[in-house]
Order: sequence, then C-alpha cells, then structure tokens
Amino acid sequence: MKKTLLTMVSMLLVTGMLAGCGNSDKANSANGGEKANSGDKVYKIAYIARAQSDSFAAWLANAVKEEAKKYPDIKLEIFDGQANDDKENSMIENAITNKFDLVIVQPNNGEAQRPYVEKVIKDGKFAITKNARITGIEGASSVDADPYEQAGVNARAALDQIPQNAKVVVLNGPSGNFHADKRRESWQKEFFDKRPDVQIVGEQIANWNKDEAMKYMEDWVQANDKIDAVISMNDNMAAGAIEAVKDNSKFDGMLAYGVDGTLEAFQLIKEGKMTSTCLQNAFELAEKLLDTSSKLLTGAEKQVDTDIGNPLITKDNVDEYIALLEKAEALK
Amino acid sequence: MKEINWSQFWSTFKKTYSIYLVLLALFIVCSFANPNFLSVNNLTNISTQLAVTTILAFGQTLLIISGMLDLSQGSVLALSGVFAVSAYKATGSFTVAIITGIMTGIVCNILNAVMVSTFKTPPFIATLAMLTMARGVALLFTKGQNILQLGDFTVLGQGSIGFVPIPVIFLIIFAVITWYILRHTKFGRSLFAVGGNEEAAVASGINVHKVKYTAFIINGIFVGMAGILFMSRVNAGLPNGAINYEFTALTAAIIGGTSFSGGIGSAGGTLAGAFIVGFLDNIMNLTNVDSYMQQIIRGAIIALAVIYDIHSKNRRTKSTLGRIEDKGIRRKGKGITESHK
Repeated sequence: MKKTLLTMVSMLLVTGMLAGCGNSDKANSANGGEKANSGDKVYKIAYIARAQSDSFAAWLANAVKEEAKKYPDIKLEIFDGQANDDKENSMIENAITNKFDLVIVQPNNGEAQRPYVEKVIKDGKFAITKNARITGIEGASSVDADPYEQAGVNARAALDQIPQNAKVVVLNGPSGNFHADKRRESWQKEFFDKRPDVQIVGEQIANWNKDEAMKYMEDWVQANDKIDAVISMNDNMAAGAIEAVKDNSKFDGMLAYGVDGTLEAFQLIKEGKMTSTCLQNAFELAEKLLDTSSKLLTGAEKQVDTDIGNPLITKDNVDEYIALLEKAEALK
Repeated sequence: MKEINWSQFWSTFKKTYSIYLVLLALFIVCSFANPNFLSVNNLTNISTQLAVTTILAFGQTLLIISGMLDLSQGSVLALSGVFAVSAYKATGSFTVAIITGIMTGIVCNILNAVMVSTFKTPPFIATLAMLTMARGVALLFTKGQNILQLGDFTVLGQGSIGFVPIPVIFLIIFAVITWYILRHTKFGRSLFAVGGNEEAAVASGINVHKVKYTAFIINGIFVGMAGILFMSRVNAGLPNGAINYEFTALTAAIIGGTSFSGGIGSAGGTLAGAFIVGFLDNIMNLTNVDSYMQQIIRGAIIALAVIYDIHSKNRRTKSTLGRIEDKGIRRKGKGITESHK
C-alpha cells in the first residue's frame, strides 16, 4: 500500500513539475518571449489576486491577463491569495525573493498586507495596490475604484426615487472589508441621514452571496407586507433579493440598488426588476494597472495614484454596458 | 399487573424523544415571538429553505454514524450544481442535468472513499482536500463567473406540486430513504456497527471497506441532488455558492443527536435538528436580530449540543461500567459464598 501511495505521489509531483515547465514556456511566448530572446529587458510583474473564487476578482484577473498581452516588454504571472491573509502575504514575500520587478496586490485585508507591501518598496521594487488600495505607503502606487462614490451615485439617485416613509432592507458585504464598509457608510451619509422618514426593516450581512441574500429576503417578506427598496452593497446580493420576490405581485414596484455591474444586474435592470448599479469596470482597472505598471517600470513616473470612473447604470444606458460585458464573457 | 418503572421510562423517553420536545418547545416560543412565524407561507418558506442543507445533513448522518464525515459537501455541491446547470444549458434535458449532477457527486465521493478507506487517510483530512479541489474545479470550469439564464431549470427549486414546493418533496423523499436505510437494511446496521466499534465489526464479518465506500457513494447522490436543487432555487450556476453548507449540515446532524464519535444517530433526529436550526434562523430574521448576535447564538447551540452529546455518552459509559462492575462483584460474591460452602 505504502509503495503504491509513494508511486502515486511521485507521479503527481513529476506531472506537476512538467506542467509547470510547460506553462512557463507558454507564458514566455505569450508575454514577450521574443523580446527576451532578442536581449531587450522584459519586466516581471507578480499579480496577486485577493481570491480567484471571488467573481469580480476573477473577472479582473482575466482582464489584466488580456491587457498584459498588449505589452511585449511585460511578463505577468497571476497568483491566487485565496482570501487568506497569510497566503497573500507569503505570495508577496515570494515575489520579492523571486525578483519580480513590480508587485500588484489586491489586498484581502489592507492592513494585514501593508507591512508586506512596504517590504516590496524597501527592497527597491515597485508596488501597486488596487481594489481596494492601501493608502499612505510612501513609494507605492494605487489604482482603485472609490467604494464611497460607487454607493454614492446610487444613494443620491435613490433620494428622489424611494417614496416617503418607505420600508427598506439593507444587504451588507463582509464586515471589515474596505469596500463593504465604505459603501455602507456612503448609503448612511448620502441617503439615510437625509431621509429620516425611511425605515430599515431588515439589515444583515450576506457576504456578497446571492444565496444568502435570497434567504434573508424570503424571511423579511414574511414579516413585512411591503418592502419598498432593497439597498445592497453588491449586485449578487441584490439579485438574490429580487429572486426571492420575483413571483410575488405585492413586490412588483420594489426598487433595488447594487454595485459592481454584473451581467445579471444588467439583465435585471433591462427587465425593469432592478433600479440601478454602479459599474466597477474591470477592463478600465486592467488598462490603468498595466499603464501605471509600464510608466513605473520604464521610469516615466515614480508614483501614480489613480481611480476609475463610477458610472451609474440605469434602464436608460444599460444596453451599452451589456455590450461591454459581452466582451467579458468572451474572455471565458 | 407489572409496575411501571417511571425513572427508567423517563430515561428512555428522554433519550429517544428529547430532540422532538426541544423542537416543539422552540416552535411554541417562536410562535409567540413573532405572529408571522405561524403563517402557512412562513412554514412553507422555512421548509423550502431547509431542503438543501437537510439533504446534506442526511448524507452527513450516514457518514458520521459510520465514524466518518464529509467536509467537502459545500464544494462538491457547487461543482455538481454548475456541471448540472451547464449540462442543462447544453442539452435542455432535465434527465441529463440530473444524471450529470448526481454522477459528479458520486465521483467526488468515490475519491473521498479511496482516500479514507483504501489509503486510510482520516476523513477530516481527505474531505478537506476534496473541499479545496472540488471548489477549484468549479471555479476553473466557470472561470469564477456565475452561469445565468437557467430558464425552465428553475422549476426544480422554485416550482411546486399542488401547494407543496418541489424542494420539500425531495426533502421528504431523502428523509424516507435515510430512515429506511438506517432502520430496515443490513447496510444500515453495518453503518452503526462500523461506527460503534470498527474492530468488532471486522471480527463479526462485516466488510468495512464496502460499507465505507457505499456510505460515501450514497452521500455523493445526496450532495449531487442538493447541488441541482440549490442552483435551480437561486436561478444561477454559482461556483462560489453553498460556502460552509457542510457546517450547517453537520450542525443539524449533531443537534439531532448523531454522535460525533459514531455509532449513534437517526434520520428523524437529523430532520428535527435541521428544523431547530431553521426555526432559529427564521425567527432571528423575522425579529431582525443583528448578524453578529446570530452567529453567537448559532455557535452557542452547537456547543450545547456537543456538551449534551459528551455528557450523555459519559453517562452511558458509566452506567455500562456500573453494570459490568455489579456483575463482577456479584460473581465474586457468588464465588466467595461457593468457596465457603
């Protein structure tokens, strides 16, 4: 038995190593391998994603990979932080050890990654934090979307849309997450503080998940004859809440707000089931990330801090954004 | 007329029915806590919400009784679900989708069984590995994106026959299957034997290897079907869906009296355990209890259930030891008397 097990483990290791070699060859040829052969400088970038299991993070990683193909002098490698601070921090350390020229970090928890990003800078390499940025690291650059504004554009529109004395429910992202907290803060300041007539009849953390949000909404519907609006910190949760009442005519005119700009949200907006969302455009983030990387690596800039736009998507402009996301689908 | 031993009667009654008494008490408390709790709509809502996790809990019950467990249920559910959804979108056939989902569950669980039974890996480790692998495959397959526009596929999770939602019908079917396996089959008895004392089970001629493989395969069927219902209910193929569902399932099984060290458990107990969790979640949402407080309450309930399990097991062990000692003393006494003679 032991022999069989050892043989299997050895075979797996050998297969893994061979696959690794194959991939690295492929990566070279796809990302400037020709330039490398001709002797020109090829810059190595480590892209450390928060978690490939997060659908937005996965979309962003895919978009960054595609964008990198436009830069023949850049070789990009993607690593998955698996939503784990320790793993993400180890990956940053490994990137330093493996002499990457630039490290792009999508933090799982900004403060936990801060000392490791500082290490990158101390080592004389470039660092970019993005979505969400880690602020105040001297020498580090950042590319982000502003979570306060993402919720803000929805909240300001909702001021006129949500009726007087409305009953609303709120779906939050994971506590401690920079974007989740900032979006909730924005709704508070931009909407709830200005509309004291509005009553929150249910508020829970649904961890960005459609299934969890759906369950909460199913329960809230039992306790409330009318829910005028669903205020959700992302589109997935808004879609879950809408799914829970889709066959219930009592909730026909219900308003629903989200953030991210998922294809599902766009379809719901088009069907009139969702009111609005704010697009967090992974393509725009990817473009800015590679542009910033190139500027830093070639010495054109020493530090860059930039944000993408926060377009509000409603029934009026949703079609043009559906076309954009169809491009994202093409990346699959 | 034979005199009733009330103390013994109460002890047996408590051991067998205490979980149902807890459920009944909770039901009464919830009814008073919020007037909406008792409505038919709400009770149907709770049953529908519980269908997926309870089907998983039945799978866990079979495994835990035989001394194993499955930490990969949530991930395998997601994988089975996205495969089933993709099969449906490709063929438009429910049959193909259901077969695909269930087969995925079975294949993952055969791998679990290979690790646990053939390579003697602790179930905790083996299924932890599967948890990571299955989720990885689901994410790789979908590139981390949700599969949308399921069309008629939603009928399985959102439809109803008469006034009974289809997920509830599946819940009843899987409850009956689990009850039948545990109470009326040789395999069910073997599960208890293997979980109670594996060496004794081997000595009594039970094919432990076969029992473990079968338990995992049945769990695979349950998880696969749960995956299909889950995706159909949320109207999307969610590679990130059902995170931590294995823990909800484990909670239901443990609260329902399934002993974590194996050899004890029942389908009725697990069903009651699932409803205790469901009633609590529902009443906390109806009364808008804060998210953090909900987590504390859920944790406390699991802790109480485990303490009760350990306590009752210690009591049983003591009483068994007591009986053995009594017999020993009596035998010894008999010996002394006999030697005096």
